[in-house]
Amino acid sequence: MATNPARAQSDHPGRWRQVARPRRPAHLALLALIFTGLAVYAWLAAAAAPFSRGALMGVVIPGAVLGLIAFGRPPERIPPPAEMDMIGMSYWVICLAAFFEWEASAWRDNSWPWHPSFTNLLDPLLGPHLIKTLAILVWMLAGWALVRR
Amino acid sequence: MPPIPTRAITIAGFAVAVAAMIVLEILARRPGSRIPTVGQWFGYLMRPKIGRALVLVGWWWLGWHYFAR
Repeated sequence: MATNPARAQSDHPGRWRQVARPRRPAHLALLALIFTGLAVYAWLAAAAAPFSRGALMGVVIPGAVLGLIAFGRPPERIPPPAEMDMIGMSYWVICLAAFFEWEASAWRDNSWPWHPSFTNLLDPLLGPHLIKTLAILVWMLAGWALVRR
Repeated sequence: MPPIPTRAITIAGFAVAVAAMIVLEILARRPGSRIPTVGQWFGYLMRPKIGRALVLVGWWWLGWHYFAR
């Protein structure tokens, strides 16, 4: 008996998302081109010195582009769930509250290096150019994922 | 108190919180899970326009905070 795939998917919101759309070669080539462009952009943005105009523009441009897309020409969006399981969501709230409480206490103490904030810990890791490039690329892709939501 | 143990405890606290979130995401992706995935609860928050704007501003702030400063 045939089943409605959309209904089957909505009945199991926890499943991995199935990618059913066929990918044509031209579409894949365009995706590869966009990804390469983003990688080059991330490489250039990562080379800018901190607190410089270049570094600021490196994040302003993706923000402006995604803002325009999100509110001007939004892409096909992934439908959000109609309602949220509050018990399931509470696990996330507990984790996020613990994380931000830990961060807030580090920020309030201002006692680097004894109680470093998350930023204090992450900044040295972002020092190598390649790592910073990858981080900027992930940040831009995360922005696109948010626009699609 | 020597500084190293305090620093190690702080780092462990962050590691536990981040690891817990990764575990939650894995659990959320199991069939029939009641726990929403990150994408699902972001999608839920972004249903109203103001939620969408605030989440995108938060995303942009993260980029500015880590990559421009």
